[in-house]
Amino acid sequence: MPAVQVENLVKTYGDGTQAVKGISFKVDDGEFFGFLGPNGAGKSTTIKILTTLLRKTSGSANVAGLEIEHDAQKVRKLIGVQMQDTVIDEDLTGRENLELQGHLQQMHGEELKERVNELLKVVDLGDAADKRSAYYSGGMKKRLDLASTLVHRPKILFLDEPTTGLDPQSRAQVWSYLKGLNQTGMTIFITTQYLEEVDRLCRRLAILDHGEIVAQGSPSELKSEIGADRITLALENGNTGTGSLKDKAKQVLGGLGGITEIVDSDEGIVVYAKNGGFLVPDIVRAFDTAEIKLSSIGVSSPTLDDVFLKHTGRRIRPEEIDKSRASGMFGRRRR
Amino acid sequence: MSLASDSYYMFLRWMKKLVRNPILLFFSLFQPIIFLVLFTQLFSSFGLLLGGINYTIFATAGIVLQNAFSSAFQSGTAVVDDIKSGFLTKMLATPASRASILLGRLLSDAFRVFAQSLIILVLAYGLGVFPVTGFIGYVLILFTVAFFGLAWSGISLALGLRTKSAETVFGIAGTLTFPLLFMSTALMDKRLMPEWMKSVSAYNPISFAVNAIRDLIMIGYNWNSFLLSFGVISLIAILTMGATIYEFRKVVS
Repeated sequence: MPAVQVENLVKTYGDGTQAVKGISFKVDDGEFFGFLGPNGAGKSTTIKILTTLLRKTSGSANVAGLEIEHDAQKVRKLIGVQMQDTVIDEDLTGRENLELQGHLQQMHGEELKERVNELLKVVDLGDAADKRSAYYSGGMKKRLDLASTLVHRPKILFLDEPTTGLDPQSRAQVWSYLKGLNQTGMTIFITTQYLEEVDRLCRRLAILDHGEIVAQGSPSELKSEIGADRITLALENGNTGTGSLKDKAKQVLGGLGGITEIVDSDEGIVVYAKNGGFLVPDIVRAFDTAEIKLSSIGVSSPTLDDVFLKHTGRRIRPEEIDKSRASGMFGRRRR
Repeated sequence: MSLASDSYYMFLRWMKKLVRNPILLFFSLFQPIIFLVLFTQLFSSFGLLLGGINYTIFATAGIVLQNAFSSAFQSGTAVVDDIKSGFLTKMLATPASRASILLGRLLSDAFRVFAQSLIILVLAYGLGVFPVTGFIGYVLILFTVAFFGLAWSGISLALGLRTKSAETVFGIAGTLTFPLLFMSTALMDKRLMPEWMKSVSAYNPISFAVNAIRDLIMIGYNWNSFLLSFGVISLIAILTMGATIYEFRKVVS
């Protein structure tokens, strides 16, 4: 039985915006599944539907074999949900936060007490357990938030950008908890901007863009689909080059053989080609003839970043996302 | 039964939050206490106009009630906080009963008004105010005020759920407080009001509650005024709870 099964899922908001346009995918039991996409692609909407927080418009969605709307109450007992923002009650202590979540999951007495102690140790909050969580650091709050989704031992854990806004050390810690949880058999469904971790931990992933799934498979499958090396070219007039210069450069590149794809990126121009290394001299010579000055040129084997760029035309940049989140906190999410 | 236990834990959460933010208690108790200690002294000569009674005794009923709605109005802003922080969503992702989210909050509001009113009544006792109906009078007063606070919370809850803006809730609450208070019998007997205000205050729900409490303090058991006030408060409660449940459903679904 798959942990999550979605078919032709559609969500149209009241104002007519179609956030999710008929997506289908499956997450196997025990899988570490990455759900990627640029901002506004429909990731959060999908997670909200799967976690019974939002009604779907049409299509079918099952979580742990249960129809999410018909069996919403049962689904809620089997899943843990972590939102984008850290959500804890800062007036309560760490322990009280966990106990409250436990109570709401209908756990009580000794069983709950023991579970809370156990979790506090797991997320390294044993010493701070009885301090008000308002005084916790950002990383501690996030760990508490994560622990609070685990009190009832969920079978499936949904995480919406759990490490965004964390310092690298806390981030690594969260990822290592998630890895550990997955090893105990918990299914993990995660949206994130951190592709290196996705590459390392996710068994499979799906990329969402404009409400549609544009690619899915294992990280290595998706990378090998690109079947080419990446050559990144930066033009001299600033990082990106002016429009006309860029067009001229692309025209020149178009005249060369062996190139599979030319893509615009914030760093300049990205060229995909088999045996990219051999093409570099050709590119340099051609640009020299056309009098286009290069400020840098680099060759690398494809990463998930390239997969993402190829399918969405955009790059994921966690730092920028942090900024846009801070400025658009209230207007961004639709209800 | 999960509704009862869920509501209890929600109630407990709000109580902890309140105790850990004493500033909130200070804000809602400060004004009534100033009224009780200073206002009644400043206007003590009103007692003469009312036939030689102690004005502090007269005004206590109004002041206890004022305290009820100034704290009930904080309810809406607390819920706005939960919406903004995502805590509401977090609760909704658990199997906890939906109704318990509202019920826990309302119970905490009622309990809080109960406790604050008790503080004010104790202070008033120090100033020589005690109900002629004795202990039972105290109990009846406290329950009436708590019930009134509950009904009144509904207004701020519905506003908070609808506008999702603490500023709006505060703005509307702040604007409503004094006109409603002054156009009622809370601080002045209707015999001394201008004609037009007399008619307004006769329909002001605050007047009904104040009259019932004042009777318990000054006259004795007046079951007519007591039941009438209960009826009026129930009516407000039905309206405000209806609006709150309607808005809550929109937020939750």
